[in-house]
Amino acid sequence: MKREVPLFITFITGILIIIALFIPHKPFGQLQTTFNDWLIIVGGFTMILGLDSLLLHNWEKIKRKKEGWLSAAFLIASFFITLFWGFGEGIFFHRNPFDASATFLRYFYTYIFVPLQSTMFSLLAFFIASAAYRAFRAKDPNSTLLLSAAALVMLGRVPGGQAVAPWIFAFVLLLLAYYFFNESKKTSGTQQTVYIILAIITLILIYPVFYILLHYLNGIADWIMNIPQMAAKRGIWIGISLGGIAMSLRIIFGIEKTYLR
Amino acid sequence: MSISLNPWVWIAAFLTLSMMSFLYKDNIFYKIGEHIYVGSSAAFMLIYLWYFDVKPKLIDGFINNTGFSRWILIIPAFLSLLMLMRFVRPVAWISRWAIAFTVGMGAGLGITGLLQGFLVPQIKATILPLYVSGHSTLMTIYLSLNNILLILGTLSAIVYFYFSKEHTGPVKKISQIGITFIMVAFGASFGYTVMARISLLIGRVYFLLHNWLGLV
Repeated sequence: MKREVPLFITFITGILIIIALFIPHKPFGQLQTTFNDWLIIVGGFTMILGLDSLLLHNWEKIKRKKEGWLSAAFLIASFFITLFWGFGEGIFFHRNPFDASATFLRYFYTYIFVPLQSTMFSLLAFFIASAAYRAFRAKDPNSTLLLSAAALVMLGRVPGGQAVAPWIFAFVLLLLAYYFFNESKKTSGTQQTVYIILAIITLILIYPVFYILLHYLNGIADWIMNIPQMAAKRGIWIGISLGGIAMSLRIIFGIEKTYLR
Repeated sequence: MSISLNPWVWIAAFLTLSMMSFLYKDNIFYKIGEHIYVGSSAAFMLIYLWYFDVKPKLIDGFINNTGFSRWILIIPAFLSLLMLMRFVRPVAWISRWAIAFTVGMGAGLGITGLLQGFLVPQIKATILPLYVSGHSTLMTIYLSLNNILLILGTLSAIVYFYFSKEHTGPVKKISQIGITFIMVAFGASFGYTVMARISLLIGRVYFLLHNWLGLV
């Protein structure tokens, strides 16, 4: 009873949704929309479970004066202030708190929620920069590709990028040529000749690269996004879809039961 | 322009600076800002779910609908009630029925959604002609090469993620081509993410300098 009924409910719900896809007529036609509405309603109540856990965890911290109890108090206070503000708008002023005229949207959303959220996400710019320093070192051909694609896309999509990019890439090529010349001094024989040829090729490449980037950088960035980037993403999406479908079938047929623990 | 006298702008500036203070080190101002964000986001989400999902679909539906479409709403209401049974320990197991419904729905929608939204459209978009005629020879080569690269990139990326066979011999060679495409894709995605974050940062700095301090 405790395991069989949930497995049966999962099976019936999953199968009915799949049948609804193939029989778009009554009573199956509306089934997907109806079930989706039900899922949204049940999902709304599920959030109460999460909130209970969040509030209890922080209340325990305050009660036992554990480390970080002051922040926990701010969390609980901000939760209830926001809750009363939002619902109060509906109860006392009979308007949706998300209306443009509502104080909830005008003050809470604009001056509290947006600054907190966008500053939190903007901080990632700094951490991404430090991660990029480690990930983007051109230590092998693949990381060089990663670095070049990121640089071309970034410079190709920002105002002024087209003016800066040729100089950056020309400077990088110059450094590369210097590196090859330096390496040629340390070696001898065929290896030395190879390094010298590589250095000369790099020097010759500076002008065409400078010219192409000066005139076609936006086109190159678009091409990267539309062809190689799209090809790899398609491969990943197809893989995700196949994996997701396999996992869904396992759940529907009761092979995967971890959600019942 | 002069410094703002609006108390709400000062609150927003204080919260922005509190969050930014993490760049120096983890401190009490950042911790308070972070916890205010978590608490207010949770309440915000709850209010949003009530006004946009539960109220219009359940409460208003029950009041405004008639006949079968009205009484059928008892099922999601009952399932929601079962979900809350998790708080009543002796009958907590009954909440599994509601969980089973949401999991079954997720699995069913997963299959239909992935099939309709991802798998079929992606495969359809990859079935391309290898030869495309352009208005010049150079254009023909460019268009055909683009299609060949799209097909090659897609197939090799799939092979790279195929772990049922050991990556040796030809499979290894194809998966190495896949890595090349994946690296370009990750690089491009990284570039996009960095740009999005930087523009958020510019927005916050502009708020501090323009709306708060009135310097620019």
